[in-house]
Amino acid sequence: MSLASIIVAIIAFALGALLALLMIPVLVWLERRGAGLIQDRLGPNRTNVGGFRLGGVVQSFADVVKLVLKEEYYPSHIKEHRWLLMLAPAITFVAALLAFMVIPFADNITIDGESLRMQALPVDYGVLWFLAIGAIGVIGIFLGGWLSHNKYSLLGASRAGSMMISYELPLGLSIVAFVVTYNTIDFNAMVQWQSGTVLGFLPAWGIIVQPLGAIILIIALFAETNRAPFSVSEGESEIVAGYMTEYTAMKFAMYFMGEYVAMNTASAVIITMIFGGYQLPWVSTAMLLEHFNYFAWVIMLILPIILYFVIAWMRKNNSVRPTVISDGSREFEAKVLTYAMIGMALLIEGILLYLTLSSDAVLGTAIAVTLLQVVVFVLKLMLFNLFFILVRWTLPRFRYDQVQSLGWYYLLPLSLLNLFITAIVVVGVN
Amino acid sequence: MGHKIKVVPRHGANLKDKLYLPAIYQGMKITFKHLIQNVSDSNGVDTLEYPEEQPGDITDRYRGLHRLTHREDETIACVACFMCATACPANCIFIEATERKDGEDEKMPKRFAIDTLECVFCGYCVEACPCDAIRMDTGIFSLLGNRREDFVLEKDQLLAHKGAFGEENSRARK
Repeated sequence: MSLASIIVAIIAFALGALLALLMIPVLVWLERRGAGLIQDRLGPNRTNVGGFRLGGVVQSFADVVKLVLKEEYYPSHIKEHRWLLMLAPAITFVAALLAFMVIPFADNITIDGESLRMQALPVDYGVLWFLAIGAIGVIGIFLGGWLSHNKYSLLGASRAGSMMISYELPLGLSIVAFVVTYNTIDFNAMVQWQSGTVLGFLPAWGIIVQPLGAIILIIALFAETNRAPFSVSEGESEIVAGYMTEYTAMKFAMYFMGEYVAMNTASAVIITMIFGGYQLPWVSTAMLLEHFNYFAWVIMLILPIILYFVIAWMRKNNSVRPTVISDGSREFEAKVLTYAMIGMALLIEGILLYLTLSSDAVLGTAIAVTLLQVVVFVLKLMLFNLFFILVRWTLPRFRYDQVQSLGWYYLLPLSLLNLFITAIVVVGVN
Repeated sequence: MGHKIKVVPRHGANLKDKLYLPAIYQGMKITFKHLIQNVSDSNGVDTLEYPEEQPGDITDRYRGLHRLTHREDETIACVACFMCATACPANCIFIEATERKDGEDEKMPKRFAIDTLECVFCGYCVEACPCDAIRMDTGIFSLLGNRREDFVLEKDQLLAHKGAFGEENSRARK
C-alpha cells in the first residue's frame, strides 16, 4: 500500500459518496422543476438564500430542514417493533447507496506503475455486488409495509415484493447475456470492452451490440426502482401511498431519498453496462493519454463557446418578467454567477494550457484524464436521470396485472431468447 | 328497431400497439418538446408570478370580498331587514338594527359585520338583498390579518370597499 494508492482510495470513496448523496437534492429539484416545465408550469423557483435562488435548487435544502425538524410520529396502533419500523427505510436507503459504490467513475489511474481503481469500493466483482445488494432494498420496503399494520401498506409491500421477484429474473438474465458478451463481471472491464468499435465505425456500446438485452435491462431496472410506469407499490390512486402510508417526517424522507438514490444507481448501471460508462464514444483511455494535447486544445476551444451559450441562457431565463419590477436580486445573482463561471472556466483553461505546454507532466496528465472521465460520467448520469424523470411524467402507471404479465410472459422469454442468441454468437465467433 | 349501430374501433390489436415502445416514443417526443421549449424560454411559460404579478382576468361576475353600497347622498343603503342574515348558509352575518332619524328610511344597521372566516362566498346575501345594499363586486380575493378578529369585517370597512366594475351606488335606493 503506497501513499498514492491510499489517497486515490480515499478520493474515490469520497467521490462515490458525494455523487450518490449530493445527487439527491439535485434530483428532487430536477424532478419537480422538470415536471413543472413538462406540464407548462414553472415548478418551485422562489426559495432563496440572500436573493440567490440558483434556479430553485435551494428548495430541496429547505425541504430537508423541514423534514428533519418535523415531529417523530408513530401511529398508536403500532405497539411493538418500532425500532424495526424505523430501521426499514434505512435498509432501503443503504442498499441503494451501497449498490452505487461499485460503479467506476473513471478508468484505472496509473501512478508510479501502480494501477488504481476509481471505484468507491475497489472490487472486481461489481456485477455480483450490484445484483446482491440491489435486491436487498425490497426487504426494507417489505418490513415497513408489514410492520405498519395497515392493509394499504401491506398491499403496497406485497406488490413491491412480487414485482421484485418477477423483474429480478429478466434483469439477471439480461445481465448474464451482457456478462457473456463482455466476458467479465467487472464493471470497469465492461466499460473498457465498450471503448472499441463494431462494424468499424460504431462505438461498441451495449445498446448497439445487444439492443434487445439493453431494452430488457432498462425496463427491468425501471421496475426495480419502483418508479413510474412501474410504481404500483405506491399507487396513490388505489392504496394511498403503499408501504409509505404510515411513515412521517425523516422516516418517510429516507424512503423518498432511497428512491432517488436507487434511480441514480440504476442510471449509473445502465450507462456503465450499455452506454459506455465514463468513456467518450470512439475514445479509449489509452488514446486519451497518448493524444492528450489534442483533446486539451479541443476542450480549450469548446469551453468558451459552451460558456457563452450557458451565460446567455442564464441571463435570459434568470431575468425578471417585464411585468415584475420589484425583484432586483435576479440581476445581481446573474452577475455573480457569470463571474463565478468565467473564473472557473479560466482556471480550467489555465490548467489545460499548463499541461499541454509542459512536456513531463505525466502524473498531471493522468489526473486530468481521470477528471475528464469523471465529468463525462456525471454528464451521462444526469442525462439518464433526466430520461427517468421524463418517463415518469410521460407514461401512465401500469395496472398491477399488466406489470406481472409483462414481466413473466414477455420479458422473461425474451431475455432467455436473448441469452441463447448471445451464447450461440459468442461461441460461434470464438 | 331502427337504432344506428356505431362501431367503436378497438386499438391495441396490431403488433405496433402491442409493442408499446412506439407509443412511448410518441409520448416522450411531446413531453420532451415541451421541456426543451420551456427550458429555453422560461419567461414564456404562461403562469402568473403571483405576489408580484396580479391576476388581470377577474370578471364582473367574480364573487370577491363583500361591500355595503351607498345611496346617492353617500349614506348607507342597507335598511337592516335581516334578509341576508337569514339567507346566509354559514350564519356569518351579524346585524344590529337601529332607528334611522334622517327621514330617508325607518331602519338602518347599527352594526353590520361579516365573519369572512365563516363565509363561504356563495353570494346568497347579494341575491337576497331587496335594496341592492350588499354586493360582492369588489374584485378583492385576498384578505390578510394576524388575528381571528381581523377577519370580522365591520360596517365601516364594508362601506369603505369600492366596487371594481364601475357601479358605485345602490340601484334600488336613491
